[in-house]
Formats: sequence, structure tokens, C-alpha cells
Amino acid sequence: MQGGSSGIGYGLKYQARCISDVKADTDHTSFLTGTLSLREENEVHLIRLSSGGTELICEGLFSHPNEIWDLASCPFDQRIFSTVFSTGESYGAAIWQIPELYGQLNSPQLERIASLDAHARKINCVLWWPSGRHDKLISIDDENLFLWTLDCSKKTAQVQSKQSSGMLHYLSGGAWDPHDINAVATTCESSVQFWDLRTMKKTNAVERAHIRNANYDMKNNHILVTAEDESGIHIWDLRKPKSPVKELPGHTHWTWAVSCNPEYDGLILSAGTDSTVNLWLAPTSAEEEATSESIAEPPAQRADPLLNSYSDYEDSVYGLAWSSREPWMFASLSYDGRVVVESVRPFLSRR
Amino acid sequence: METLSSANLVTARVAVDSVPDFINGGPVKVPCFNQPWKRVPQLESEEVHLIELRRRRKKMKEQKMGAEDNVPLDDKARRMRDLLSSFYAPDPSTNNAPSNPGTLDAINTSSFDADQYMNLLMQKSNLDELLQRHVEMAAEIKNIDTDLQMLVYENYSKFISATDAIKRMKSKIVGMEANMEELLDKIMSVQSKSDGVNTSLFEKRENIEKLHRTRNLLRKVQFIYDLPTRLGKCIESEAYVDAVKFYTGALPIFKAYGDSSFQDCKQASEEAISIIVKNLQRKLFSDSESIQARAEAAVLLKQLDFPVDSLQVKLLEKLEQSLGDLQLKTDYIENASMESNDHKLGKVPDSVHITAHEGSIHGFVEAISAFRVIFPDSEGHLIKLAQDLVVKHFETVEQCVKGRISCANLLVVLRTIWTDVLLVDEVLSEAVLPGFSLEAAQNALKQYVASTFNYLLHDISDALLRVNVSSKEAAEENPLQVALEASKKALLQGSMDVLLDFRQLLDDDLGLLVQLRDFVSDWVQEGFQDFFRALYDCFFLLSGRKSSSSQDQGLTAGAHGEKVLAGLVLVLSQLSVFIEQTAIPRITEEIAASFPGGGARGYENGPAFVPGVMCRIFRSAGERLLHHYINMRTQKVSTLLRKRFTTPNWVKHKEPREVHMFVDLFLQELKETASEVKQILPQGLERKHRRTDSNGSTASSRSNQLRDDKTNRSNTHRARSQLLETHLAKLFKQKVEIFTKVEHTQESVVTTTVKLCLKSLQEFVRLQTFNRSGFQQIQLDIQFLRTPLKETVEDEAAVDFLLDEVIVAASERCLDPIPLEPPILDRLIQAKLAKWNEKNPITP
Repeated sequence: MQGGSSGIGYGLKYQARCISDVKADTDHTSFLTGTLSLREENEVHLIRLSSGGTELICEGLFSHPNEIWDLASCPFDQRIFSTVFSTGESYGAAIWQIPELYGQLNSPQLERIASLDAHARKINCVLWWPSGRHDKLISIDDENLFLWTLDCSKKTAQVQSKQSSGMLHYLSGGAWDPHDINAVATTCESSVQFWDLRTMKKTNAVERAHIRNANYDMKNNHILVTAEDESGIHIWDLRKPKSPVKELPGHTHWTWAVSCNPEYDGLILSAGTDSTVNLWLAPTSAEEEATSESIAEPPAQRADPLLNSYSDYEDSVYGLAWSSREPWMFASLSYDGRVVVESVRPFLSRR
Repeated sequence: METLSSANLVTARVAVDSVPDFINGGPVKVPCFNQPWKRVPQLESEEVHLIELRRRRKKMKEQKMGAEDNVPLDDKARRMRDLLSSFYAPDPSTNNAPSNPGTLDAINTSSFDADQYMNLLMQKSNLDELLQRHVEMAAEIKNIDTDLQMLVYENYSKFISATDAIKRMKSKIVGMEANMEELLDKIMSVQSKSDGVNTSLFEKRENIEKLHRTRNLLRKVQFIYDLPTRLGKCIESEAYVDAVKFYTGALPIFKAYGDSSFQDCKQASEEAISIIVKNLQRKLFSDSESIQARAEAAVLLKQLDFPVDSLQVKLLEKLEQSLGDLQLKTDYIENASMESNDHKLGKVPDSVHITAHEGSIHGFVEAISAFRVIFPDSEGHLIKLAQDLVVKHFETVEQCVKGRISCANLLVVLRTIWTDVLLVDEVLSEAVLPGFSLEAAQNALKQYVASTFNYLLHDISDALLRVNVSSKEAAEENPLQVALEASKKALLQGSMDVLLDFRQLLDDDLGLLVQLRDFVSDWVQEGFQDFFRALYDCFFLLSGRKSSSSQDQGLTAGAHGEKVLAGLVLVLSQLSVFIEQTAIPRITEEIAASFPGGGARGYENGPAFVPGVMCRIFRSAGERLLHHYINMRTQKVSTLLRKRFTTPNWVKHKEPREVHMFVDLFLQELKETASEVKQILPQGLERKHRRTDSNGSTASSRSNQLRDDKTNRSNTHRARSQLLETHLAKLFKQKVEIFTKVEHTQESVVTTTVKLCLKSLQEFVRLQTFNRSGFQQIQLDIQFLRTPLKETVEDEAAVDFLLDEVIVAASERCLDPIPLEPPILDRLIQAKLAKWNEKNPITP
């Protein structure tokens, strides 16, 4: 690890792509991760950072019927999470609940609350509203956007509304605006589209090719960060969708995921297929914007936005999650199934 | 009195005569005790004698003393007068105050001590001197006694004569009173008679005065009646001064009586005056008249209460019109440029235009000086006019500057302007035209510098954009190389030309420019700084990085447009390197040589042109553009791969029959890249198998030895193509550095492109799920790629590793990963190779 960083490792048995912060767990810093193995039995791991913050403890290990392509923890109930899975030929999505007595059982079964089984195409992701208790869910497949009403007590999920993204727009993912319960962004091949969930109409679009991942800034309204395959990271002010507010170089190869820190303004993590995780500092306040416009400024005046590059990974890093309980901690997951929890504290002081 | 004094004198003479035996023959000899060597001054010895005399005065009391007879009379009289005046002097003590009683001078003071004096004398003098002194003193004493006597006598005689005079006056004053009374009577009678004469003459005198007044009046009336004819005469003889004087003299009368008695006369003279006014106006406006005459005319007109202001305005308008003639026309400048060209060609310049301009400016200057004489209070207007002229001149200059004027022409124009300014300044120094035009010239030159750099920028971007045109024509073999060379030349040559031009500005000894030298130096440096900044911006604009629209355009405009743009980016990158390594040092050198830093810019701002910063900027620009180029290339491949991997249903893939055509497209892309790169980038050093330039992203901690062993082993193992072994090999194999630092060499760029593309391939594979046939298809495609890729690429090991990785990824994502049998694999590859060679006979 570069600079003697204090990364805490945890190994999964198989390859994995997704990791999620358990936001509802206010007592511990926990993450959920699921494996991606086509031919083996897949597992969901509940990992908890020990109280000393020195090691990662497996709090729960649950078998999952299929390989997991997407996993999201429920922001208001730590035992509930959603997965998107694939059998190789078909796709499915479900809401799961961790059984109450999992501490005693060796390999307990997850309790399936609901199946989001209205999809006909390849499902990409399931979104929870990130800011609190909300009984709606969004699931996105290649062509459609579904809004579900979830009732945990009755264990049902019903399609409330559905919207096709339109011809030739293959959706690849999405993000739910934490500031606006009715706004959601979806990424497709050539643009980011914005939807109003009340009318299920497109409200806006940012024309940009090859967007892999999008993430709303938790602190600043209207700010969206996108990761693109070749062109790095762009920060958008949604009121000015024509051109990005800021541009970060991203990774040597594709930039796969971006995540804005829930607490510290302008702190952005990105994970890439060049086996690195980069920590950026890119405040989007007005005066910063002005200086970023003129590219010919002497380099001394423009601080390098890259705070650190974590490069102790063997394979591409696909999973990335900030801890909402300890916002200076983040978990990253490389394809070889290695979870690394890392603190960005040393870099906060530089701000 | 006379008898008295003469008798006295006679007695004195007798007395003197009796003395000498006693004084001269005296046997007294005083020895010189103290200082026999020192001669006592004459004066001192005289004094000593005097003292001696005074001491002996008592002994000689009975003897009569008198003045020496050989003393002249007037001298004696003067002495008498002095004595008298000293006697009557207000304060006789003042004379003696300063003298010291201790010296021999003290003899005349009131504090004289005879004993002391004697002692002193005895000490200082020898016997001879003492004797001499004695004689002298005796003489003096005699003199003094005589004087005293004289005084007494004189006083007495004066008193007697005064008494006589009073007696005489008393007798004469007695008969005077009667005469006086007689005189009074006579004076009284004279007075009464003169009064009578006066009263009798009074009436007549009044009459005469009245008559005289009437005569004056009549003369005036006559004058007024004569006025018209007189004015006429004046007009004939052009004696306008007199005419105006007459008329203004008559004006009060006309005003008082013009309506009644002198109506005709008034009308007539007014007519005459109007003629005069007209004549005067004509005179004023005619340029042929002398300036004095015109000024006179203006003064006269003013005296006639003619509205001179309107005249002034008219004349000013006329001047303004002439100003219009003066304005430098653009064609004038063109002519000037032609002339300068002619001059260069050795012909005699046709200076018609210049002389024409000179003529008009001289006219203008004369007009101004005339105007100043005519209307002394018109300075304000004239200053404005002159400044207008300068402003117009500089407007023309600005137009010229906009129209890309050469430096020589600019100099010609500036020189003309400066001559004009100096000429006008001679007659109108109040306008401060030199200062004014200096300011204007400062602006103009600044603009000139800015626009020159602007044009240079345009030239370069034109040279760059020619890439698009020429590659469309496809006539040239190496459009990129041509563009690069052209733009390099445009940059360096252009910069040098610009510097030469500015050098000309500096070297010129024109007064206007000499004062601006420091500024010009600074502007040039600033200009270069800004120019490179602008160039930097321009590069990124051209490369399309700054505007998202151009990138989208690139995607939609099809492969051709994209390709051209990519090539351009490569050219830009290489040009940045050129600027950093060659152009900036050259220009810095040139600037240092010919533009010694102007002092006009404050030191706190630092030097205007900072080559270090610029070099840094362009170095980073070169790298960024190179990365951008690679990005653009890999993006194209990515699109290709994306289509390849998202389109088919891999789970239901059919058995592989041949190598998929995306491989051809991929290799085609690489070939294009390689050809572009070959045109522009230099060949790198032979550096196969060298992998030390890691950027740290996948840095290894193991030793090189170990890594090479592992790589070799993996190479041998690879042939077997067994999945498990590959997997195991990967576990033990040292991770190959995939992402190394890109350099400005052909190999480095191509290798990086290939690596990035293969990594993308791996990522695309990881996103899919394959059935056995799908996996086998991938295996086949990758196996085919190995040979051609290794030929193009510098870092074989990394490429091998990445190709293996793709197969591993595919097997991981395969439901039933059973690889193709090697014989079938070989056969399919051979078939493809045969086809490939058929299509591209040259390429192996």
C-alpha cells in the first residue's frame, strides 16, 4: 500500500463486484457484499469493522441462490437489502431480509421479502432512496424504469409505475437524487437522463457518451458526478447540463465507479479497471469554478485535485462505498473478492 | 580788527625768532637706555617733544609765543576754523576717548598724565631724538599760544561788527510805514479798474463761445452729411480702417437722430458700410490675402458689431473640411506600402501621394496659425480640431492594424503622423499634441502587437487545420507529417518574423517610438506570453477536449472525421513538444538579445515573458494531448468492442467457424494508428522487454529476475492452453505492468493503445456470460490476435499477459468452459491467416 496506508483487508471466496454500506446500522460500521460466481454457490457477507477499527469481522454469511450483480442495503432497516442476480441466462431482483437468529445458525437462509419480477430484460440495479425512510423502490433494466411500492410487513412489492426509456436507449444504471424524492437519474449509452417519478417523464438530459456510473453529491443539490469509460470523471451542475462544471482525469483505463463523500464537501472516490482507487478533492463552489475555467493558469495556483491513489489491488475495482457512520472510511472491492476498508483521515487535514 | 590781528602776528613772529637758540642749542642729550637698536617712529618723537614743551611751559611763561612765520596763511586759517569748530562742537570729549593713557598718543586726551608720558619718552628715545623732540614741542607750544590769541581777537572783532550792523538797521527802519500805506491805495485802484474791464468784456466772450459751439456742431453735421461720400471714397481706396473709424464715430449721432433728421444720410452710410462689411468678409475668407490683412478685417468686423462668432464657426468648418482632406486614406497607406516595395526593388519611389499629403498638412498648419492670429480666443476650437486630426489619424492606423499591415508600412504611417503632429505642434503648442498622440500611439502599438500575435495564432491554426483538407484530398502520402512540418515552420518562422518586425519598431529613431521603446519591449514579451497561452487554448480547442459538442460530432460524423481529428491531436501533441524543446528556447534567446527588458513594467510584476512556465505548460500539454490521442484511438476500439460484445446473445452462441471480423477491424484501427504515429513521432530506442517505466499503479515489489522467470514459464505453458494451468500460472506469475508512462515515441504510443484496448476487451468479456461456443469463439479470436499484435508492440510480455487475461476472464464467465482443441484452433487460425494474407499481401 502506498505511503504505508492503513487498509484493512477481508477476503471473499469468489469474485465479486458489489459492496454496500449498511446505512441503517448506527452502532457499527458495516458493509454488505455479495459474490459473483457463475458456477459456485454465491454468498452474501455482512462485514463489520471491529470497535478498534483494526480488523474486519464477518458478522454474517448467507448463501445466495445466484451470482450477485448488484446489491443495495436498505437505508432505514439494517436487515433488509436488495440484490440483482443472474443465473447466466436470466436475471432477477429481490428484496431480502437477514434472519433474526442468524448468529446461531451456521449458514442461515436469507428471507426473501419480495421479488421484483416484472422485468423482462437484463436488470441493472435496484435503488433505494438514499436519504431516509421511503416505501418506494426503483429498479432499472436495459429498457425500463420501474417504480415499486414496498411493504415490508406484508412482504409485498408492487409495480406502481413503469416507463420505457425509449428506443435505442439501453439503460445501464441510475442514481436517486438524495435531495429530491421524485428525481432519479439513469445512465445509458449516450446520455444521463433525468426522470420525474410523479409523472414518469423525462425532465432533463446530459448528453455524454459511455457513462458507467453516476452519483449525486449528498451535500450539494444539483451536483451529479459521472464516471465514464475513457474520459474520466465529470462533475455536472444539473442546472447547466451543457457542459461539466469540472473534469477530473479519472483512471488510466476505465473509471468504473464514483462516490461522493456523504459528509465532506467535494471529496470524491473513484474506482477503476486499472486496479486503483483514487481519492479526489474537487469542490464545486463558485470561485473554484471560475479558476477551473482557465486551463492555462500556472500549475502552482491549481492544486492537484488527486489527493491519493490507492493501488494495492490485484484486479479491477468495481465496488466502492463510503461509510455513512464514519464518513472518513470507505470500503472498496476488487474483482478478485478482496474488500479493503481504508481511512482518508490523513488527507482530510490537507484541506 | 585787521590792524589788531596783524600787529599780533608781528609780535608772534618776533617771539619765534627769539626762541630757536634755546631749543636747538640746548645741551640736553638723552641717552637711549633701553632699545638703542630700535628707531623710534617719527611721530612718537614729535609727541615727546610736545610733552617736553608742555612741561617747560611754566619756565617759559614770561616769553611771548606766536605762530611760526613759515606756515602758510590759509593753512593757518583752516587750523583756526578747526579750532573754532572744535570749541563749538557739541561733545569734545568723544575725540579723546579711545586713546590709551599708557602710550605716547595720549597727549591730546583729557586723561593725559604728564609724568607717565615723560617716563615713557625717556625710556624709548635716545638723546638726539629727545632733543629733536624738545625743539618740535617748543614750536608746537608756540603755535598753540598763537592760535589762542587769534581766537580771542577774532571773537572780539565779530562782536564789534555785529553791534555796528544793529545800529545801522535801527536808523533805516524809521521811514518805512508811510510808503506802505501809499502802496496799498494804489493796489486797490488797480483792482477796481480790472473788474470794470472784465464785466464789459463778459457778454462778448459768451457770444464767442456760443458761436464756437455752433461751429463745431455744424462741422459735425457736415461730417455726417459727408459720411456716405467719404465712405465711398474709402471703399474705392480700400481704406477700410478709416471708414470704420468714421462710421463708428458717427454711430452715436445716428442712433440719436437717425430716425428723423439724418435718415437719408444714415441709410446711405449704412449701405456703404454694408458694402464694407461684405468686402471685409470676402477679405477674411480669401486665402490669397495676407494673414495680417485678414486679421485686420476680422478686427474691423468686430468693431462694426458684426457677428464674428458665426464667421469663426464658418471658418472652422472650412478648416474641418480641410481636415477631411488631410485624413490618411487606406489607399494612401497601400500606396505607401507599394512605394516601400518599390523602394525595396530599387526604383525611385513615386512620392506623389506623400507630397500631396505634405502639401495639405502645410496648408492646414498655415490655416491654423492664421486662424490663431485672426481669432485670438479660438484656441479651444483649434485644439479640438488638431486633436481630431490625431484621433482620425490613429483611427486609420487602427484600421490598418486590423487589416494586417506590415511593420514597415506601419512605420511609414506613424512617421507621417508624427511629422504632421510636430508641424501642428509648432503653431499650436497648447494642444499638447505630442503627448496626446503619444497616448494614441501607445494604444495603436499595443493593438498592433496584439493583432500581430493574433495573426500568428491564426496562421498556425490554419496550418494545422490544413490536415483536414489535405487528408480529404488524399493526395499526399503523409498529411500529418506535412501538417506538422508546416505548423512548426509557421510557428518558428512566424515568431521570428514577428520579432524582426518589432525589432524594426524598436530600432526606428522616430520620436514617437523612442519614447515607447520600453513599452514595446514589454508588450512584445507580454504578447509572447499571451500568445503561447492562447496557443495552448487553441490546441485544446482544436483537439476538442474543451467542447463536448465536437466530441459528439466526432462520434456521429463517422470514422473519417474522427480519424482526421485524432491525427490532428497527435500533431498538436508533437507540436507542443516542439514548442517546449525548440521554439520557446529560441524565442527566449531572441527576446533576450533584442529586447532588453523594458523598465516600464514594475519589478513587482516580474518579467512579462516567463519561458519556464510556458515550457512547463507545453510539456504538460504535450502529454495531455498524447493521452488524448490514445484515448480517442482506444475509444474507437471500445465502440467497436462494445458492439461486438453487446450485440450477440453469448449464451446461445454457435460453434466458432472462423475468426470474427471484429479482429480485422481492430487490427485495421491499430494499423491506422501506427501509420499516423509513424508519420510524426520519432522512433524510440530499442526497448523490447524493458518494463521499468512503471507509473506505479501496478508496481511490483518482486525482483526482476523472478519476474522474467515467471514470464518465460508462462510463455512455455501458454502453448498448452489449459484453463487450470493458465489460472494457476496467473496466481504465481508476477503481475505485468500494464499501464506504463507514455512517451513521445512510435512504439510507446502504439503499445499503450494496444494495452488499453486489450484491457477494455477483458472488461467487456467480464460483463458477459458465455456458453461453451461463445468461450471458444473468444479463445479463437484472441489466439489469432497474438501474432500480429506481438509484431506491432514493444512490450510483448504485457500483451501476452493481457491476452491470457481475456481468455481467463472468458472462461470465468463461461457456463461450460471447455476450450477448443488445439488442432481445430490451429486450423481455423491458419484459414484466417491465409485469408488475411490474401487481402493484405504485404503484411505478414
